[in-house]
Amino acid sequence: MKIVTRIGKDKLAAVCLLFIAAILVTGVFAPLFAPHAPEEVHMELRFAASSWEYWLGNDHLGRCILSRLIYGIRPSVLWVLVALSISVAIGTTLGFIAGYFRGKADAILMRVCDIMLSFPGYVMTLAVIGILGAGLENILIAFVLMKWAWFARIIRTSVMQYTDTEYVKFAKAIGVSNINIMIKHILPVSLPDIAVISSSSFGSMILQISGFSFLGLGIQAPHAEWGMMLNEARAVMFSRPELMLAPGIAIILVVSAINFLSDALQIALDPKLMTSRHKWQGKAIALASKPHGKEVA
Amino acid sequence: MAMGRYIIKRVLISLPLLVTISFFSFILNQLSPLDPAEVILHAQGVPNITSELIAETKARLGMDQPLLTRYVQWFVSCLQLDFGNSYVTGKPVWSLLGPAFLNTLKLTLVSVIAIIALSITLGTICALREGKWVDKSVRGIFFLLTSMPSYWLAALIVWYFSVKLDLLPTSGMDTYQSYILPVTVITISFAGIYFRIIRSSMLSNLNEDYVLYGRACGLPESKITLHLLRNSLQVAISVFGMAIPVILGSTVVVENLFVWPGLGTLSVKSILSRDFPIIQAYVLVLAAAFVIFNTFSDIVNAALNPKLRKDH
Amino acid sequence: MNKNVAILLSALLISMTLLAACGSNKTESKAKANKRTELVYATAKDINDMNPHLYAGSIPAQGIVYESLVENTKDGITPMLAESWDISPDGKTYTFYLRKGVTFHDGEPFNADAVKKNIEAVQSNKSKHSWIKLSTKIVSINVVAEHTVQLVLSEAYYPTLLELAMTRPYAFLSPKDFSSGGTKDGVNGFNGTGPYKLTEHQTDQHAVFEANESYWGGAPKVKKITAKVLPTGETTLLALQKGEVNFIFTDDRGTDSLDVQAMKELADSGDYQIVRSEPMNTKMIVVNSSKAGSPVQETAVREAIWYSIDRETISKQIFNGTETPANTLFSSNVNYAEVELKKRGYDLETANKLLEKAGWILENGSKIRTKAGSQLAITLYYDANSPSQKTEAEFIQSTVQKSGIRLELVGEESSSIAQRRATGDYDMLFNQTWGLAYDPQSTIAAFTSESSYFHTTNGIANATELYTKINKVMVSTDEQTRKLLYADILKIVHDEAVFIPITNGNVTLVAPKSLQGISFKQTQYELPFERMYFQ
Repeated sequence: MKIVTRIGKDKLAAVCLLFIAAILVTGVFAPLFAPHAPEEVHMELRFAASSWEYWLGNDHLGRCILSRLIYGIRPSVLWVLVALSISVAIGTTLGFIAGYFRGKADAILMRVCDIMLSFPGYVMTLAVIGILGAGLENILIAFVLMKWAWFARIIRTSVMQYTDTEYVKFAKAIGVSNINIMIKHILPVSLPDIAVISSSSFGSMILQISGFSFLGLGIQAPHAEWGMMLNEARAVMFSRPELMLAPGIAIILVVSAINFLSDALQIALDPKLMTSRHKWQGKAIALASKPHGKEVA
Repeated sequence: MAMGRYIIKRVLISLPLLVTISFFSFILNQLSPLDPAEVILHAQGVPNITSELIAETKARLGMDQPLLTRYVQWFVSCLQLDFGNSYVTGKPVWSLLGPAFLNTLKLTLVSVIAIIALSITLGTICALREGKWVDKSVRGIFFLLTSMPSYWLAALIVWYFSVKLDLLPTSGMDTYQSYILPVTVITISFAGIYFRIIRSSMLSNLNEDYVLYGRACGLPESKITLHLLRNSLQVAISVFGMAIPVILGSTVVVENLFVWPGLGTLSVKSILSRDFPIIQAYVLVLAAAFVIFNTFSDIVNAALNPKLRKDH
Repeated sequence: MNKNVAILLSALLISMTLLAACGSNKTESKAKANKRTELVYATAKDINDMNPHLYAGSIPAQGIVYESLVENTKDGITPMLAESWDISPDGKTYTFYLRKGVTFHDGEPFNADAVKKNIEAVQSNKSKHSWIKLSTKIVSINVVAEHTVQLVLSEAYYPTLLELAMTRPYAFLSPKDFSSGGTKDGVNGFNGTGPYKLTEHQTDQHAVFEANESYWGGAPKVKKITAKVLPTGETTLLALQKGEVNFIFTDDRGTDSLDVQAMKELADSGDYQIVRSEPMNTKMIVVNSSKAGSPVQETAVREAIWYSIDRETISKQIFNGTETPANTLFSSNVNYAEVELKKRGYDLETANKLLEKAGWILENGSKIRTKAGSQLAITLYYDANSPSQKTEAEFIQSTVQKSGIRLELVGEESSSIAQRRATGDYDMLFNQTWGLAYDPQSTIAAFTSESSYFHTTNGIANATELYTKINKVMVSTDEQTRKLLYADILKIVHDEAVFIPITNGNVTLVAPKSLQGISFKQTQYELPFERMYFQ
């Protein structure tokens, strides 16, 4: 695909892509990469400094920080990716239905989206945690519940413009089934749009989930998660500030890489993405979309 | 008149939204796993709870009626700012939520003003110096700051300004100085987004025909700048409208870090003490505020940009 | 974005890192605490409703505003608002001779009439006070003279004076503050007779107490005490370093605001002192023996957990030796608690054996034991505001795992945990005995009280026997019988392992170096602020 080659040309974006891929692989195969079990307690090593055996030192229970950092990729990045994928999948399906068939289904779906989008993301997440209790799963559920509407809306716009193209009209005229048109003709062209919006949400979702864990509402002990590690480090922030560094830098690097990649994607697609929408609408969406898509933790 | 009709239309659209939100918030409380009557008694620290006490409390709360009736009653009392009593303190929810809402609103307004000021200034400078060193470095810095967890940044800032330099209070809302640190953190984490919007809108303005034409005709630069400024003011106002609801709902982490006596602190505390009436009212009030501010900002936007009124 | 930007980004990142790193070399304290003449203490929770006849308020705050008839001290019951008292030979009538010249903060005189009104206000809300057995024994309260009042009971009740000495509910509020003749539906003011009066209260921000200049015991020297609401951990530490607060103590829920390590470093910096009371209570894990379907219903599981806790390491590593390991519910210096009980130390082998025998087995290489298809998974609730509880919980989680028990941890606000204890909606939770003034009689009386340990004790085999003995011991007038009954009671709960002791806790406070006269009461819930002064 063109975009891939175009991104390939941007060396920095390629580095980011590699970095993210490496992080994901490390997370999936955490047991292979982590030097120790992440939940192995050694009270005698409480707050030990870094050593050959424990590269990044030990935390308040003498657990290996490096291993916890590696296992922390799972909730902090992988699970967020899963939640993102689910909500993008829901959003895409509904966005396609609304954008392609229009009519009543469209009207109803968009009203539902309006309602969903009228709840600020944080508030909804807090509401879900309030009812179901603290925990990573509950935050992920809240994310899926909240974000699909946002994706559905944007994907609908994107689908709508492709539905109006000549070749789709032509395909319809010669009697290709709707499903086939959607899969063969519309999905491939709208895929880049989907990639852009989902990647731009990814970074902010990572920040948000770590924020909730930081407040003690996210993942529960003993599992490692970056926000939680920062929360634990905060308790000893003045006597051992170095504990704040590893998880903090991990978050910054991953989120920067994702955001950078998302920008690169957008730039690679820019001419198409920006001009093809109605001009004012494109502008309004650009204006309105950013803040919603990027609530910062 | 087009504008008047637009306003009416926009307000009418938001009304069913508000009702849906209120119903959702109402249901939320019904989903809670605890028997409110029992919870209230425990919250009051009643050491020994008898079944008579529970029945008595239930009757007092009117919990023996059908769902819809209760919803209507609840909705009507909500309109009068009566959200029931906190499970934990027994005080009326609004007596806790009202002041907290006001405090969050104060924080939000000050932060939004700071964000606008910062992003307009930097956005304009960067647009005028597009591609130059200034532009690149400002964008780079903002890019990094937006990727930073705000609580991490906050920890660094507090440590540096409060402890190291001993300039500012670490937490609370005692003096106007208390605003500085939380506002800084919110500004830093959000300005990046709005800065980009403003920069790109300035850029598109710069490339518009009349600017190019004006320049070509030898119109003085000051006139062109004036035109650009007027335009950026417009952008500022519309961004202002959009930013308020977003930030209003996103101060949770910062409030908790700085012990700001606002909604964010209150909500997290209520969650950890399972104080459902407060959680419910919190969701309702913030979502309603979100809708109202959004409506308001749409109207302002429409007033500024007549093209927006036609569609929708 | 291009390479320049990337270089800039990395430069920034590195400088941020350096900035953060160079902070580590000194944690200087800029406390201006030394010049202060007032105390500002950090509290995780608002003082809340100060009504002395209800239970929502902060006990330390209620303790300096309100007073009781008598006080429970190291030397036994001593006079407070009552200067002396007589007990009738049958133990049913108590006559109190009140201190003269005492006034409430609003100027109202404290006299027999005020005592009568207050006690009647408490009694009119009986259902809320059933945990205090005295409330079920009071028949009448009569004014004999301006400063003489008579309390009539239905039967002799030996802890009467102990229960009258408690911070609540038998404390005295100016009758002028009563709303519609009582206190159960709220009060109009908070005027007590204590050394401090509440002068300002901003919910969830702060409360200000000022010295009562006309206090009968002499005006306190520390003129102003402010309770500032701050979350525990580094926010409090920061505020201490900056002098925004200058006093912290273990609060009424047993929450230490600071990590032991942080406290030590703060004291080493020179402006603060750490003062610890003698061991006051036992920090423990309370197990719900009556929760249907939970593995902790089984005595073997409870015992196995007991054996799987490494108290020595908790004491040494988490508390830096400031708290000693506890092996029984009450330490032997508590009245009636010198009882020979089987010691269950850290012994994973025994724990594993117990579980095997009870049918909890490790199947095909799994790490968690199962029985009849269900996992040995237990939830432990801890106070989200207590850094030490969280660390303890995590540590215990790691050791019980070695016995094949999965422990899930949930951090909540203390009010929510109290609610769980009352409704029985828990497997295990952190708790502590009630302190020297309350141990053993009130803590044990609470075994039968639904709001306290009823769910904890109700599921054991001989619960009925236990409750009968508890009721007997409270009305027994013979010292020797009481001794035997208490021994039986303690043996039952020990054998059933429903209260798993961890450490002997104390009250710890961090105060400015210049603060003198620091002492403690017989309870972890209050501090005698009126005796403190600055040098």
